[in-house]
Amino acid sequence: MAGRRALKAVLIDLSGTLHIEDTAVPGAQDALNRLRKSSVAVKFVTNTTKESKRNLLERLQRLNFDLQEKEIFTSLSAARSLLEQKQHRPLLLVEHSALEDFTGIDTSEPNAVVVGLAPDHFDYQTLNKAFRMILEGAPLIAIHKARYYKRKDGLALGPGPFVTGLEYAADCKATVVGKPERTFFTQALSDLGCSPSEAVMIGDDARDDVGGAQNAGMLGILVRTGKYRKGDESKINPPPHLTCDNFPDAVEYIMKNLDTSH
Amino acid sequence: MADAGWPGCSKSLKGVVLDMCGVLYDSGEGDGVALPGSVEAVKKLKASDLQLRFCTNETQATREKFVAKLQRLGFDICVSEVFSPAPAAVAVLKERGLKPHLLVYDGVLPEFDSVDKTNPNCVVIGDAAEKFSYQNLNEAFRVLINLEKPVLFSLGQGRYYKETDGLKLDVGVYMKALEYACDLKAEVIGKPSPMFFQSVLNDMGLQPSETLMIGDDLVNDVGGAQHCGMKGIQVRTGKYRASDEKHPTVTADGTVDNLAQAVDLILGQRGH
Repeated sequence: MAGRRALKAVLIDLSGTLHIEDTAVPGAQDALNRLRKSSVAVKFVTNTTKESKRNLLERLQRLNFDLQEKEIFTSLSAARSLLEQKQHRPLLLVEHSALEDFTGIDTSEPNAVVVGLAPDHFDYQTLNKAFRMILEGAPLIAIHKARYYKRKDGLALGPGPFVTGLEYAADCKATVVGKPERTFFTQALSDLGCSPSEAVMIGDDARDDVGGAQNAGMLGILVRTGKYRKGDESKINPPPHLTCDNFPDAVEYIMKNLDTSH
Repeated sequence: MADAGWPGCSKSLKGVVLDMCGVLYDSGEGDGVALPGSVEAVKKLKASDLQLRFCTNETQATREKFVAKLQRLGFDICVSEVFSPAPAAVAVLKERGLKPHLLVYDGVLPEFDSVDKTNPNCVVIGDAAEKFSYQNLNEAFRVLINLEKPVLFSLGQGRYYKETDGLKLDVGVYMKALEYACDLKAEVIGKPSPMFFQSVLNDMGLQPSETLMIGDDLVNDVGGAQHCGMKGIQVRTGKYRASDEKHPTVTADGTVDNLAQAVDLILGQRGH
């Protein structure tokens, strides 16, 4: 249809967008099915670094979402490719449950520091150890730099503050591999055969989901669920292409306003 | 002026300000250890006609306990000569009617006894060391993120310091973490805040140009003092690293091996 932007792929954030911990956002499963009936490709992109892809898949399937493991692209996947490419042996500050995504990576005599969301590792002792390694020249790799995330008991610090602290301590700059890095979004789209201008990102984090995607040349839709707080849409420039109440509303908008017909 | 540089400038000095940890002693198990020659160097300064003050960002103990520790290490020092961030913070909190949530080392808590801490409307962080757990930092974060106008005070902004078993992360790291998490800028109390150096100068009744600071922290001691118009000398002890001598923004007026050497150079210039 003339005048409507051609759409080939939709990238969807998980935590806070499709579900909050073990509860699905109401209507999200049906909305995902509706999207799948059109001809657009769907990928699930997440900075939820506590969990392996397999964990994520199992949780989403338990919540009755229809998806496959190969459709999930996480910041852990992005970190692993970087480690392999540079042949680093990492000190992994990631939660136990995420370790399986690093199976086979040599971690003896570590010469790099990888920081994910790992409340159990963010004690003074462990951060001192990481700091001393970085000061000796080990690169600092951040799976992502989210400021905080939403737990059942309220907001909680993400890895970003700890990465920022280590950067300050050792006067260095971390290599960030997750959202909102441009390369994260282009890597996620790479096997779908579409350009960023033909893709939309839906998420609850204004900077990391929407801002990052828009910087990479995609459209960004912000949903008012999960970590969303009033006024978040004005934290990024340009503002989100659209801000709407939840994932089903975002799908409704896409079906009505974008050209999903090829 | 021919004598504007180091150590010639010592001739016109009227006061000396010493950083403590890394200059007088290295902290660690128990009281830590006095650096060789530093007890004697303090004695020599006290016997001279120069005024002497101590200026520390130490926030793990009350001044009384801290000074008692240094006395045990052999230093001739008393509480009224020591400037530290916690009492300065208490003054600011009272002046602005703020009630703090404290993330500080247990040992320094008594300094805040006189402050109302119910329904906190700001956060004060100090060097909390092992108390910098995820949970404690998260509590401070939640106080800030739920305030309409979050205010964060940081007792110093050091990156790291040296203990006998190695380098340790300092309060600045956690200040930066909370700044990033809450998208705000902390107010620093202690070095290198100009207000803090000024309070030391006021106490001595001296002009910055008449005063010299000796420290092991290039940015906070040397840079902070220079920013106020004082001279700043760095010692090659404590957290000193060779790369400090080619730092992009801060250049010390002089670099010496240790406090003993600095004091001998100063007093030598003055004909002692």
